[in-house]
Amino acid sequence: MTKNQIHRARPWPGFPTSKGLGSFGDANCMEQLLVHCANAIESNDATLAQQILWVLNNVAPPDGDSNQRLTCAFLRALIVRASKSGTCKMLAAMANAHCNLSIDIHTFSVIELASFIDLTPWHRFGFTAANAAILEAVEGYSVIHIVDLSLTHCMQIPTLIDAIANRLEGPPLVKLTVAGGATEDVPPMLDLSYQELGCKLVHFARSRNVALEFQAIPSSYADGFASLIEQLRVQHLVYAESGEALVINCHMMLHYIPEETLSSLSNVNSNPYSFESSSTQSLRTMFLNALRVLDPAIVVLVDEDADLTSNNLVCRLRSAFNYLWIPYDTVDTFLPQGSKQRQWYEAGICWKIDNVIAHEGLQRVERLEPKSRWVQRIQNAGFRRVNFGEGTISEVKTMLDEHAAGWGLKKDEDDLVLTWKGHNVIFATTWVPA
Amino acid sequence: MSLHDSASSAAGSSSGSSSSLSSSKPPPSSLQQDIVRHLAGAGYTIRSSDLPQVAQRLERLETAMGSSPADFFQLASDAILYNPSDLASWVDSLLSEFTQLPTCCFEFILAPVDNAWTTAELHEPRVQQNITYEQQSLDRQLTVVTAMEEDSDIRLVHKLMACAECVQRGDFSSATSLIDDMQGLLARVNTVCGIRKVAGHFIDALSRRIFLGIGGGSVDGCGSAFENEILYHHFYEACPYLKFAHFTANQAILEAFDGHDCVHVVDVNLMHGLQWPALIQALALRPGGPPLLRLTGIGSPSPDGRDSLREIGSRLAVLARSVNVRFAFRGVAASRLEDVKPWMLQVNPKEAVAVNSIMQLHCLLISDPTLNSPIETVLNWIRDLNPKILTVVEQEANHNQLDFLDRFTEALYYYSRMFDSLEACRVQPEKALAEIYIQKEIRNVVSCEGSARVERHEPLAKWRRRLSGAGFMSLPLGSNAFKQASMLLTLFSAEGYSVQENDGCLSLGWHSRPLIAASAWQAMPEPGSCVSCLE
Repeated sequence: MTKNQIHRARPWPGFPTSKGLGSFGDANCMEQLLVHCANAIESNDATLAQQILWVLNNVAPPDGDSNQRLTCAFLRALIVRASKSGTCKMLAAMANAHCNLSIDIHTFSVIELASFIDLTPWHRFGFTAANAAILEAVEGYSVIHIVDLSLTHCMQIPTLIDAIANRLEGPPLVKLTVAGGATEDVPPMLDLSYQELGCKLVHFARSRNVALEFQAIPSSYADGFASLIEQLRVQHLVYAESGEALVINCHMMLHYIPEETLSSLSNVNSNPYSFESSSTQSLRTMFLNALRVLDPAIVVLVDEDADLTSNNLVCRLRSAFNYLWIPYDTVDTFLPQGSKQRQWYEAGICWKIDNVIAHEGLQRVERLEPKSRWVQRIQNAGFRRVNFGEGTISEVKTMLDEHAAGWGLKKDEDDLVLTWKGHNVIFATTWVPA
Repeated sequence: MSLHDSASSAAGSSSGSSSSLSSSKPPPSSLQQDIVRHLAGAGYTIRSSDLPQVAQRLERLETAMGSSPADFFQLASDAILYNPSDLASWVDSLLSEFTQLPTCCFEFILAPVDNAWTTAELHEPRVQQNITYEQQSLDRQLTVVTAMEEDSDIRLVHKLMACAECVQRGDFSSATSLIDDMQGLLARVNTVCGIRKVAGHFIDALSRRIFLGIGGGSVDGCGSAFENEILYHHFYEACPYLKFAHFTANQAILEAFDGHDCVHVVDVNLMHGLQWPALIQALALRPGGPPLLRLTGIGSPSPDGRDSLREIGSRLAVLARSVNVRFAFRGVAASRLEDVKPWMLQVNPKEAVAVNSIMQLHCLLISDPTLNSPIETVLNWIRDLNPKILTVVEQEANHNQLDFLDRFTEALYYYSRMFDSLEACRVQPEKALAEIYIQKEIRNVVSCEGSARVERHEPLAKWRRRLSGAGFMSLPLGSNAFKQASMLLTLFSAEGYSVQENDGCLSLGWHSRPLIAASAWQAMPEPGSCVSCLE
């Protein structure tokens, strides 16, 4: 054994020299440490993993600045991941080590969730852009059928109903369909059942003189919302001639549908789309194809602009780190430290990081894809883009003015992108059948 | 009641040293007390006064089995041990089947206690017995076989203690024949598990001591620096002791340096500098930015002319540069720690100083009345540096006792625990080389004397008294150190290790027996005095 062999793993992993870039330099260092730690865990290099974890525990306190809190969340996720791997012990033992690894996910009431959502443009951006586009698309229709596939439990809908009530003569009949129980295990959690939520929405609509019919069809992203699609197909066959405008509103939901890197679900034997011929397509593709068959008046897709689909942990970690610094960075502008809402907010991000880093296979549900890939998919499914009108853009800008200065708006081809300090955060796109 | 003379040669040679066992109840000798302790360690409590009978019965059983292996095999196939704690009546029943002896009642109390040495053997399907019949798989008779293994454990310990006692008395010929016996025993048993593994090393160490005692020269070179480096690295990898030492000391040092812009670490033995990259990285990212860090590494001059201190220092400097920490390294080559003088360390009065000693202080406990006590000399110059913190990690063992037999016994317990813990390491060659590393310690404790014996471990309680007496006060290690150690241990080390907190100090042990202890200290303030540098 040569001397070099002894020291092959011993030198501390190298860092690019960051010439005192202040907080950026530190963030870069933190990222590098996390990357090296992930590599060490994946390659079972217990010594290096221990050393880096020791350092990270000291330099990333859970109550530090935004970089430190971000790193702390990743550190926590790496520890959880390490505790599941072959050479390490069960998570249960961690409790004995006085390590608090649980994430406290809050269950919101409707009022809490509504005001929570309003704190930041993260969801409001998509709501504003989508509602404006939808209103344009459904002009003249007497029946509007909105399929709301949204992570935020229909928080977009009251504003839409308001607008429908105000802007159209003789308000139309509005049918609202949601996928019941779609995201039972993903934050934010609501303390109401969908039946109860539906009742509230119907009452609200009635107070605006809008007749609302609500249905929740039990369906899950895990099989590409197959039962929902099936139901919509049947209804489409029945109502195709009756001048109903079908609106498909997808808000941060579609990225849970398994895509090509989860190929186990898209094999021939487990095709949930009984009407589709067996294929090797991913559920995501099949879902979009199925939407096309429904011939909707408009499809809105709003989602987070990042790539978390890589099967390589380190790639995923880098992508996640270079995107999820944004919510930690923004939170100082709208929530004071120590407030309950801040805890809820950061717990939600922590959950996401945990899912991306510490889970694999079917349990890893946060499979974000960047805008370019979604655009490709939807185009392949037979849709073409629709431009956002000037009115929509100015509405979004007005909304953004209510929030911190770092938020911005970008028009990228025909799409709208929400930015924070110039970085892409959320994209909004609208489509009609080609 | 004397030992049965028809016993095989295996037992015969013990007659010399075991004469103390033949009696009508004299007060138990220290040897007997030791045997009781060892049996207790193997899972049985026996009154000292009953010990001769137990030993006698077991030897007779072995004889009987040895002389008619086929019969025993048949017997063993049929025997079912209903109550593993009732070894006495089982042995008796076997004996009575064999030799048609009248059944005796043994008035022992045999109760299993926490078994120190039988770890996984109960579940080991592969087993060899210490009797020479065809090796057959006896999965059904595991309890029978385990009892036999424990029996051979007891016999080994018995012989080891007897041999050590001979050596202490200067009876080298009896000691030598005991060595032969034991090596014969070892050859017939599975040396992979339990005490038999570490016994081999103790037998080796005793042989060396005997050799020295009869006028032979020391057979041991210290091994080249390169070999020692390899052994150290593999010991570092194979088990958590050194890592625990480094993390815990680093945590205390990091916290002590909080708020200081100029810091200076004095490492009493730099070795390969494995402790420092993590501290440098942690300092680099601490809130408020890194301090100016100076590291002074003390070490022996390299025999082959390499300036290894400087090599390690420059590697650390490269790392520090890459993470934007202003860093300066100084190497101090000294063959004896007591030769180091404070002026060599060039401590700046404005710096916060941390002195770090990982398993070094015990080397200074040589008690030669003609010299100034080295430990006092060193503790004095450490104190003169007025350090913000002194981190001390030491083996938690009493290997510096005057009485050789006491030392031997303690070492036997300590190192068999350590070897047990090493069983959990599955990686080779780390494990094998780590064992050699430990073996060198055993050799030093058992076979060396005078200035050659450097492994003079003392327990934390003694170090507390010593350090308090030298003008230091204890600095509690704090909850972060405990949390870190626990978490890292839980994640990456086998089940069985545990971190314990004891009055501000942390220890790492195997199955609740601490094997290494870490503590932190601060110089006691003396009103009105100033630091004086000795020239």
